Amino acid sequence: MNTMKLMTSAYWRRALWAAVTTIFAVATSGAAAKEYLVTSLHSNTMVLVDAKARKVEKTFPLPSAPGNTPATLVPSPDGKVIYVLHNRWETVSGIDLDSGKEVFRADLSQKGLRAKSTFAFAVSPDGKEIAIFVLPVKLLSGEYQVQDTYIAVYDASAGLAAKPIRTFPAPRRTTLMGYSPDGTRLYVMSWDIIVMDPKDGRVIGKHLVRHWERKNFGEPDTLAVWPLWGSSNVYTFPYGAPRTDRKPDAPDAMKSGIYTLDMATDKSSYKEFENSSVVLFSAAINPVRRKEAYSVYTTLSRIDIDKGKLLKRIDLEQTYYVVQVSNDGKELYLGGAGSTIAIHDSTTLKRLGTVQLPGGADQATATMRYFTR
Amino acid sequence: MNHMKALNKKAVLLDKAAQEGNAGDVTTMAAAAVGCTTVFDPGWEVDAFGGVGGLCQPMEADLYGCTDPCWWPAQVPDTLNTYTEWSSGADSAARDWQQLKSVFPK
Repeated sequence: MNTMKLMTSAYWRRALWAAVTTIFAVATSGAAAKEYLVTSLHSNTMVLVDAKARKVEKTFPLPSAPGNTPATLVPSPDGKVIYVLHNRWETVSGIDLDSGKEVFRADLSQKGLRAKSTFAFAVSPDGKEIAIFVLPVKLLSGEYQVQDTYIAVYDASAGLAAKPIRTFPAPRRTTLMGYSPDGTRLYVMSWDIIVMDPKDGRVIGKHLVRHWERKNFGEPDTLAVWPLWGSSNVYTFPYGAPRTDRKPDAPDAMKSGIYTLDMATDKSSYKEFENSSVVLFSAAINPVRRKEAYSVYTTLSRIDIDKGKLLKRIDLEQTYYVVQVSNDGKELYLGGAGSTIAIHDSTTLKRLGTVQLPGGADQATATMRYFTR
Repeated sequence: MNHMKALNKKAVLLDKAAQEGNAGDVTTMAAAAVGCTTVFDPGWEVDAFGGVGGLCQPMEADLYGCTDPCWWPAQVPDTLNTYTEWSSGADSAARDWQQLKSVFPK
């Protein structure tokens, strides 16, 4: 009896402890698990969307000169601040999502020097630094004098008049940047993908893209302007590559493929999946079914990147530039170009919902991003 | 080229670069599977495959996506530097395209 009583008591203690820890885990993870989309509009507005409710939750007027759509958006690792490249590509600002206030601002241009960033900036995984690719041009009285391109690193807590804490040279034509999850590598996407030490800009590796050497293939053509890796940490983009052993009018003279760079493991790979027949703008990998990629433009495609096989394709009612995948791998979010965000099932590709953005304003090249906070 | 002579500094530099084999440092964008039009196409008329199926749907959905980054500098005003207010206030190209006017050098 005593033994039974002891066992029963121990059983209930364990059960009670399990219940308490479960409630605690749900309470803490539940608060951090809300899923959002963020995008920007030609009206100089940033928009926060509740991904599951399919509703606009907040809009933020951006402190920017009008007439050119804010472009790249990068959430801070804790999801509290969204960094945006705007002001005709001459400013990166951080907008606090709770207060709506600008909490960081790096103006790249100075008197007599016009400096812009072509989509390329990144926030370090600890949220403490922001690396921005800069193209400067001296505006002289009789000529414009092109200066060397470089990466400027800023302290994220520097406020509204942020100045670089260090700079280092970077290749011209850089259009994207991203950190490895451990913060030890800075990926600089140019004609090839250069791997740098973010502390000093030392080149520590390279993944060939334009200069790949493949028998019977010419140089690939890519469009690398959207940082869409999300929680998968896999930078994924479509490419078109000409076959050099085919006549130009042969059906397989141009092949479409998907290039992936796992920024956690520093491994890259690519594989063709079809003769080029549709335009593909961007791609993203499924963070759960990691051999599955999606690509978008006027069609939405599901691709097996291991087998090099198109699994499914549907026509879209309008063009979308970017595709994002939810952390559970179940939903796809399409954005960019026009004024709509579309939600699709990641397996059937069936439309699950749409979100109309305020004022019907276009997103243009805005990087619609999925994130949680 | 035998009948052409460089007249200004820039043309002299271009000639010099070509003679030194450096002209290849600048290349035009190729018409390929990715991208809706080449820089030297009139724009919006034909896709990379010679048809129209690969153009943006509707065409206006692509307008600011391409003019904002100066994708078509010859066909539409440059809103990054020169005609910065060209599309200001016309936030939906499909709805507001009639507000977009021609521009002329000042």
